Amino acid sequence: MSDMMIRIEKVCKTYHVKSRAEPVRALDNVTNHIDRGEVVVIIGPSGSGKSTLLRSLNGLQEIDSGAIFIDGVSVTDKKTNLNLLRSQVGMVFQHFNLYQHKTAFENIVLPQTVVLKRSRAEAEAIANDLLNKVGIPDLGGNYPSMLSGGQQQRVAIARSLAMKPKVMLFDEATSALDPETVGGVLELMRGLAADGMTMAVVTHEMGFAREAADRVIFMDAGAIIEENTPDQFFDNPQSERAQDFLRQIL
Amino acid sequence: MEWFAHKWDIIDQLTPFLLQGLWTTFKISIVAIFFGSMLGFILGVLKTLQIYPLEKLINTYLHLLRGSPYLVQLYIVYFVFPSFNISWLNFDSFTAAVVSLSLYTSSYVTEIVASAIFAVPTGQSEASRSVGMTKAQAYRYVILPQALKMTIPPMASVYVIVIKSTAVLSVIGIAELTRQGEVAIMRMPGDIMFIYSLIAIFYFFYCFPVLRFSKWAETRFGSIGIDLK
Ligand SMILES: Nc1ncnc2c1ncn2[C@@H]1O[C@H](COP(=O)(O)OP(=O)(O)OP(=O)(O)O)[C@@H](O)[C@H]1O
Ligand SMILES: [Mg+2]
Repeated sequence: MSDMMIRIEKVCKTYHVKSRAEPVRALDNVTNHIDRGEVVVIIGPSGSGKSTLLRSLNGLQEIDSGAIFIDGVSVTDKKTNLNLLRSQVGMVFQHFNLYQHKTAFENIVLPQTVVLKRSRAEAEAIANDLLNKVGIPDLGGNYPSMLSGGQQQRVAIARSLAMKPKVMLFDEATSALDPETVGGVLELMRGLAADGMTMAVVTHEMGFAREAADRVIFMDAGAIIEENTPDQFFDNPQSERAQDFLRQIL
Repeated sequence: MEWFAHKWDIIDQLTPFLLQGLWTTFKISIVAIFFGSMLGFILGVLKTLQIYPLEKLINTYLHLLRGSPYLVQLYIVYFVFPSFNISWLNFDSFTAAVVSLSLYTSSYVTEIVASAIFAVPTGQSEASRSVGMTKAQAYRYVILPQALKMTIPPMASVYVIVIKSTAVLSVIGIAELTRQGEVAIMRMPGDIMFIYSLIAIFYFFYCFPVLRFSKWAETRFGSIGIDLK
């Protein structure tokens, strides 16, 4: 009924680490939603809880309280088939996390055959298409160790797309890349956004945020401090913390 | 010249006899490695599942086996188990040797498999779970294939430890290589030094290729730095 793809309701998460005296409140009563087809960029200083928020969206990180729904399905409900849900939510990591013992091509094939039970032939056809789409049609036979960071990230994106996800989550997908390869990966992400993919993107690339985002969320100390359209946010930040943050990075 | 002829005579006489012993050593070590590895693999995987009571139980098992000499374990399996009056625990000496050596082997293999699994970066597991693989699928298709490769070099070292441990089996009358040598020495006590050297050479011929393989595997698959002491 609603066009909400992701619903985040009063989510709290505290990390208790033995080696630290104070527990860390990584998410502090976060409420928000992302509409179908919307591209939301999440920014904020280091340690503000961006990764924790993103990882809680597909249940990779358990939360203490609150609720999260993906396309109406609760992530936190014990009865939810979390594996099915995860197969519909693509996640791209800072360090790519390609399966090290598989070629680029097999990285894209494996989740399709194992999780979606697609036939080998179908999975291979899709993998070939996607290698084309992400701009490395000739590198399918390479192992991850034989690919540059940018190429690995393209494979990782293709691997996620092969699952035909409803949502894509990007956690600093370009932070570990050489400057000259960042552009190509951002270009790819922009293309996905233009195709109507629902995206939650944690990034330090303010240029990308400005151009590709429908909305920018600014987090600090586990809370959403401010959200706005990119133009409004960058030209006219409301909170002092956002102003400080932007002054530091721009 | 005469000295040489005499030694050659010993070699000539003893070789078939010692080869028999080597064959027994080989059989027992292979079977123990096989069952010990299977058991160790299962326990190693279970140890990484982060199920607390199970982990405690396995650690206790490891402490018991790693914290006592193999000879004592052998005595327990051969002499103490039968006193439980459970018929299938009433092992003959060969079975007792294989069972105790398999358990002994499994304690090393468990540690190796668990360490190798822990050495696979967490990103691999996250990338598997986030596409919707179950934990079992992540293990089967991503984590274990990477971990098992890392177990190859230390497994070869364990193999050598097991081969050398079979020497202890002479105490329960198994005619393995050391035992055969001792029998020979009883017949020719004057040549004790020479015969022991001969035994050492036989062991060396068995262990050396395995050690070489281990070295090669380490350069090929990398080391995870497991201490096998
Ligand atoms: N697994 C964990 N165990 C303990 N504390 C954690 C864990 N993960 C994150 N934290 C802590 O929670 C807080 C939020 O971390 P998070 O990784 O979500 O921040 P972030 O905004 O993604 O930061 P960055 O920009 O550096 O990636 C930090 O203080 C961090 O130290
Ligand atoms: Mg982060």
